[in-house]
Amino acid sequence: MKNSNKLVSFLVPVISILLAFIIGCVIMAVLGANPFVALQSLWIGAFGSLRNVGTTLARSTPLIFTGLCACFAYRCGVFNLGGEGQFLMGSIVCCYIATRSGIEGLPAILLCLIGGAVAGGLWALVAGLLKVYRGQNEMIITIMLNYVATLFMGVVYTNWLREGSVPQTESVPDATKLSRLFGLRATTAFVIAIVAGLLVYYFLFYTSKGFQLRAVGLNMTAAQFNGFAVKRYILMSFIVSGAIAGLGGSAELLGTQFRLINGFGAGYGFDGVAMALIGQLHPLATILVAIFFAALRVGSTTMQAATGVPTSVSDIIQALVIVFTVAGLAMVKLPQFKAFLVRLTDKKKKEAV
Amino acid sequence: MKKLFALLLTLAMVLSLAACGGGKTEAPAASGDKPAATETQKPADSGKTYKVAMICDSSISDGGWGMACYNAMIAAAEKYGWETAYSDSIDQSAYYDNIVSYCDLGYDLIYAPGNQYTDAVLQAAEEYPEVAFALLNGAESTPAKAANGNVTSLLPNATQIGWIAGALAGLMTETNTIAFIGGMELDTTKGKYEGYKEAAAYVGAQEGKDVKTLDIVYSNSFSASDKGIEFAKAMMDQGADVFFGDASAVDSGARQAIDEANAAKGSVKVFDIAQPSDSLGQNECIICSQVTDNSGLVGLSMEAIENGTFGGETIYGTLQNGVLSAGAISDLVPAEIAEKYQGYLDQMTNDTFMK
Amino acid sequence: MDWEFVSNLLLASVRMATPLIFLSLAELYSQRAGLVHIGLEGLAAIGSLIGFLVSLITGSPLLGVVAGAAVGVLVNMIYAYATINLCAEQIVYGMAINIFAPALASFIYRVYFGAGSELVQVSLMSTLASMLGITSDNFFVKLLLDQTLMVYLAYGLVFFTAIYFNKTKSGLNFKAVGEYPKAAATLGINVVGVKYAASVICGALAGIGGAYLTTCYATTYTDGNVAGRGFIALAAVIFGRWSAGGVLLACLFFGFCDALQIRLQVSSFGVPYQFFQMIPYIATVVVLAVIGMKKAGPKGVGKPYLREER
Repeated sequence: MKNSNKLVSFLVPVISILLAFIIGCVIMAVLGANPFVALQSLWIGAFGSLRNVGTTLARSTPLIFTGLCACFAYRCGVFNLGGEGQFLMGSIVCCYIATRSGIEGLPAILLCLIGGAVAGGLWALVAGLLKVYRGQNEMIITIMLNYVATLFMGVVYTNWLREGSVPQTESVPDATKLSRLFGLRATTAFVIAIVAGLLVYYFLFYTSKGFQLRAVGLNMTAAQFNGFAVKRYILMSFIVSGAIAGLGGSAELLGTQFRLINGFGAGYGFDGVAMALIGQLHPLATILVAIFFAALRVGSTTMQAATGVPTSVSDIIQALVIVFTVAGLAMVKLPQFKAFLVRLTDKKKKEAV
Repeated sequence: MKKLFALLLTLAMVLSLAACGGGKTEAPAASGDKPAATETQKPADSGKTYKVAMICDSSISDGGWGMACYNAMIAAAEKYGWETAYSDSIDQSAYYDNIVSYCDLGYDLIYAPGNQYTDAVLQAAEEYPEVAFALLNGAESTPAKAANGNVTSLLPNATQIGWIAGALAGLMTETNTIAFIGGMELDTTKGKYEGYKEAAAYVGAQEGKDVKTLDIVYSNSFSASDKGIEFAKAMMDQGADVFFGDASAVDSGARQAIDEANAAKGSVKVFDIAQPSDSLGQNECIICSQVTDNSGLVGLSMEAIENGTFGGETIYGTLQNGVLSAGAISDLVPAEIAEKYQGYLDQMTNDTFMK
Repeated sequence: MDWEFVSNLLLASVRMATPLIFLSLAELYSQRAGLVHIGLEGLAAIGSLIGFLVSLITGSPLLGVVAGAAVGVLVNMIYAYATINLCAEQIVYGMAINIFAPALASFIYRVYFGAGSELVQVSLMSTLASMLGITSDNFFVKLLLDQTLMVYLAYGLVFFTAIYFNKTKSGLNFKAVGEYPKAAATLGINVVGVKYAASVICGALAGIGGAYLTTCYATTYTDGNVAGRGFIALAAVIFGRWSAGGVLLACLFFGFCDALQIRLQVSSFGVPYQFFQMIPYIATVVVLAVIGMKKAGPKGVGKPYLREER
């Protein structure tokens, strides 16, 4: 039974991805494009050369951070949809430190990353306090705070930290930029993301605090009866998940974008939630899913360039992956489906006997 | 055991940070990097079909900037027999990815119509020395920043563009208040606004009018036509009766609001000047268009690539070399005003305007 | 601050509040049946495109609105099936709709119009005043008569919704499904049926809200033209405390903020305009913090019968 559960939770995303691609191929065929050529160019665009792999990893980096942010919070039963706002708050503080503090190089990088994480954590704490002490729905609050953060970033790059006549901040000084991996587009930000993922994994599954946090997530009432400090765990999960997102914002600023500008970080928060859910709240699976989605995005540009299929086909495929996976995972949790599965395995056992 | 693991991870993190400390030590492995299969140097035989790709953050069917730039590429490509491709409505974070995709596919020229692509173009130009990049509205200083000399700025004179619209606005306004709607806060947009403002004030003064230009507003988007509607309404409430803009689909929204206001009054009292292609007839309120022959500029780049002389320069577009001009004038403009306007245009061409 | 400025500001507020009213009512019906829906942005996007296409092809904006409603219902059935039958997480599914529907809309637009680069414009629904042949600059004539049928429909729906939820048996049953689904079921109320009915209404209203943008507001369709209105509607429902009248006031207030923000930009007011754009979101957070919903506990989140109680 346990094995079949694991198998199912692995199969659902795989089948969903296949289904989404089949539908995508049908659409492309209807448009008169050769789906195989399109898929091939999608693959080449994402992984065809070392340089493309670098681009894919670079694109996946912010998704990994927001995915981990969602993953960590949900493990504690906290639906933090504010990854985007926390990501932006982190990048804003990071930008301030990088461009205005006068420090450069490694000390500046460390300060930026810490500052970004703290800012992200504090921004998430606002929602956490409202949830714990006012009983509010954290999903709605974090969505609202995302918009506030986006607009606040607008004020920052059009007014406060603006450089010259164009609405954008100055670029991060060269010495403070994260260095590239093997000259590729991916930077050490990717390494930081992976390490963060390993740390989250280790904490959740190999420490007693992590166990208690997951217990709170699984059943808050039971956890309370067992004497766990539920409120503390909830607040902690807000702060830590926000800090991960904020760290991601800093890493993205120092590694890829270098300046705050219109559209910075847009959509990463919700993307992260999707990554975490498809990865079934497993930090390492979340990383893989994030890389998969980044590959779809990077490759779709090449696909569009090579076949003339609009990039929205790739958007549709991505959306379908989410639509199918989330529905599929919900379906296999239904009691009816579980009963069906039990019957199936029982039959096999009987046959074996 | 657990603690050891945690320690190791922390160590790994610190080490990776230390690696960052090196700053920009790597020389982005330009040509030494593994080139994608398609980008190997092609033999320069005459049978080669050259390819150009355009990237654009607005839509190519926006009835404004995106459309004009796309048509410019198509026209130039037809003239020189090039193949074309485009990606439009792309996010700022995807500029670079899009450019690089085309580079990998072996395109010879990347055409980026806008100053906002400068960072992405320079980065790609460094990594793809064999690809040519044409940056429309690029800054004068940009080509010098490209180490491989493969970036050209195509720079229509923003002040003259503003003059062409402003002179007519100054002649046509009856409320002595005119307006300008910007898309993004770009230097070229500001240049157009300044030119528009000073030309209108100068021409107005010649006519004995004190023409004021409302402060510039920005939609911060090239696609939000609803913002264009609201901006235009708010500006008409302030008395503006001639509009000029640099905001793509937002301009179409503004024209819609102007047409509605005119329809409510029963006659066309508020006018719009379009750019950058001749859009007379698209909306009732359009009295004239400032026309920029971007295809001529793009064509010059194509010619340079075919001759192997591309790179490292700024190609200007002015009234004098024919890239800038005024389009057809609508019947709403009285003949004597049209005549005066032609006079001012001649002054601009002869460099005697406002002198 | 002359009268003309104020009257124009008020007219603009009403103009900008109308699509919000449709979207907020959509959210209200959905939430009243216990379904939190953050996918209105997506439903409105596809409604807006289909409304645009149909009114372009048939030349009738009204048919466009009807088609927008129909496609809204259709897309929302995906959400309904997944959240009601499969008990999938509502917020996540709403988000999936937000990714899926706009991509579909943008795709259909691209395929339908090809790489053609011409500006496609439709004619808008005419206003009552122009149908009656009245032209006047009088503020009250403009406010009351110079509006499209959709505006009257929006206010009519608010009125109807208020009565429905408070005065009719069916409305009270509807509310019961959102409040205590299990108790409602024991009273013989068809809980699943009500939830589906709510999803149909929600899809239709969200589709109309989107179609309003292309049949009554702007003559062109551009990707992303919904521009966050779906989320503002979500805020309006909370700010209006889940009542039809409250939602209406919230929409008017948010419309007013938006209109004011535009005018302040035009008159180069010193404070960054983004602060005014923040008002709806901050107001919602503050309201939530002040009213302090009594919740059974955070356990309810994500459960099939999820619902914010008052």
